Amino acid sequence: MLGMNHRTAPLEVRERFAVADPAPLLTKLAKSEEIEEAVLLSTCNRVEVVALARHAEHARLRLRSFFRRELAGDAALPEAVDLDALLYEYADGAAIRQVFRVAASLDSMVVGEPQILGQMKDAHRAAVACGACGPVLSRLFQTAFASAKRVRRETRIGERPVSVARVAVELARQIFEEFTDKSALMVGAGEMIETALEALRGEGLSAVHVANRTPAHAAALAARFGAAAHGLPELPALLARADVVLSCIGSDAPILDVPMFEQALAHRRGRPIFVIDIGVPRNVDPDVNRLDGVYLYDIDDLGSVSAANAEERRRETVLAEAITLEEQQRFDGWLTALQAVPTIRHLRARAEAIRAGETGRALGRLGLDEAQRQGVEALTRSIVNKLLHAPLTRLRAEAEREEGLAYLEAARVLFALDEPDRSPDATGETGESRGDGEAGARVDGGRAMPAPAGDEEKTRS
Amino acid sequence: MVVALHILTAALYLGAGVVAGVGLVLPSPRALRGSVSILLLGAVAHAFAFAAFHLAAAPPPLTDLPAAVSLMAWLAVLFFLALLRRVRLQALVAGVAPAAFLGAFYAALRLPHSEQALFVGSAAWPHAHVLLSSAGFALLGLAGIAGVAYLGEDRRLKAKPPGRARLRLPSLEALDRVNAVALAAGFPLLTVGVLTGMMWVETELGRLWTGSPHEIGSVLAWLVYGGLLFARVRARQPGRRAALAAVAGFAFLLFAVVGVGLFA
Repeated sequence: MLGMNHRTAPLEVRERFAVADPAPLLTKLAKSEEIEEAVLLSTCNRVEVVALARHAEHARLRLRSFFRRELAGDAALPEAVDLDALLYEYADGAAIRQVFRVAASLDSMVVGEPQILGQMKDAHRAAVACGACGPVLSRLFQTAFASAKRVRRETRIGERPVSVARVAVELARQIFEEFTDKSALMVGAGEMIETALEALRGEGLSAVHVANRTPAHAAALAARFGAAAHGLPELPALLARADVVLSCIGSDAPILDVPMFEQALAHRRGRPIFVIDIGVPRNVDPDVNRLDGVYLYDIDDLGSVSAANAEERRRETVLAEAITLEEQQRFDGWLTALQAVPTIRHLRARAEAIRAGETGRALGRLGLDEAQRQGVEALTRSIVNKLLHAPLTRLRAEAEREEGLAYLEAARVLFALDEPDRSPDATGETGESRGDGEAGARVDGGRAMPAPAGDEEKTRS
Repeated sequence: MVVALHILTAALYLGAGVVAGVGLVLPSPRALRGSVSILLLGAVAHAFAFAAFHLAAAPPPLTDLPAAVSLMAWLAVLFFLALLRRVRLQALVAGVAPAAFLGAFYAALRLPHSEQALFVGSAAWPHAHVLLSSAGFALLGLAGIAGVAYLGEDRRLKAKPPGRARLRLPSLEALDRVNAVALAAGFPLLTVGVLTGMMWVETELGRLWTGSPHEIGSVLAWLVYGGLLFARVRARQPGRRAALAAVAGFAFLLFAVVGVGLFA
């Protein structure tokens, strides 16, 4: 795996490497000799390529060149930027671990945020669609997705919001049971108000009002979110109707004070108001919080809730790491078991070659009719299959453990699989007897397939 | 059998309270859900206790204080479970279950020693009085518990820096709604309970009013609740004041009815 993220590269560099449509680049990458399979993950916080390769060193060079030439494209990096210093790479088990950690949102800027899983699914889907992702990486990603879901299910890593907008919504939920009969008032029309409107969009508020010093700005923002636009002089009347008030407007003195709230409360018949003041300097007089039925939170209050929630998420990461490790071990078992495939295929091929040769010679001498010949063929095949069944089953089972590789080694020695087949029957006509078995295996759609010679050098990175 | 079933009921209520407390401290939503199930089992055991009561002495001597307290506890749990179907109130098991435990445990301790009824009279008025008053009492008790929870949540949400809820507790709006519903349903039941009590006295003694401490306390409690309901409906006071009033009102009712019954 080669990539950069929010910890290693600044935004102005990351945005040069962001890819909207990875298909053309991935297709080209997967066609290169050094890479067998590849997935490209590009989000606002990370650009990573996960690849399956035959040779780690070659793959490393190819991926670095991929970042420098293909991903960066025409956008030249500033001269001061040393791209190599911004990239991190993981190989073998560390790369697998990183995929699991990214999927479970343990490597995210906001630990536990749910978007990364969807983004990884999209990246995997795109890679599969363009043929860059094969069975091994598909299995890796599917297992990582399952692991991430388990982390969400069994830990509280994603329960506590940490963004200011989500914290505000979560606090509002502690005051109001439902939002469908509530209305919100946004004071200001800047970026923070826009983010808050995004966060509130799915909450089903009955009405949203945007009030701003410049009504035209309020109208522009309100139009995008289906809200109503107002000027600041309307604030007292709006306050009497609003259940959630969020203010972020430039002002030297509070624009919402105690008398305004007292007046509003008189018309509210006991209904509480939740006020979020994220303006600096503050837009709402802090004494407002003393009024019955008014709950005021400023940017520091939200920050302290956010920090506490982030801390709680960090505590949950211990459990989450343990879960991902457990799931990763399952994937490792599957991956290790793949190593048994060449030996098993080789052993089968050797046995089949002997059977075919001996049977052919015997049939030549016996002079049997066609039905009898078929009977003898079936009989010998059955004997070979039954003899091999137990050892092959054991080999498959043991190969899932690292220690089980000794069984594979023993099988290769006992059946002389690494030596040239000197039996008179070894004609090579079976297509699998000589050389092929030693060549390693590829996996296609979950079924083992013989791979070309040289696969034993394959290294995952 | 009645006592044994009351002990089982009390144990289940206590278990529900403990599990809910653990669920709040850990925090664990699963424990809170479990506490609701245990509370439900307690309510079922309580139903069997009353069935056994009925079989042993039909109609059961509800006018006896331990039996009446047990009935109030049972009805409070039933009303709470009914409310749970509508509002997210699992955390309140930590308040309702211990209160129900006290009622069931008191009944288990006192029932073997209780004498038949405070008043001996024809079955209709006394039983109507106890049933209706207990239902009213149970609902107003729920309003009180919701009020305590509201005050705690209000304090936490207004604190600087804001206090953290490690578990999602009932919203202020939900607690205020419980308060309003319990008060709106509890007060009429209390009213009819007071009236049937007067009819009972009239049947027994030939007059509506004897001036006993129980009567005075009950009527004062009724007046207090009438005032609370009026304030709630007409003045639309903020939730915190309504919660305070519900807690104070229930404390007064507890003293006026149960306290007077205990010490009289």
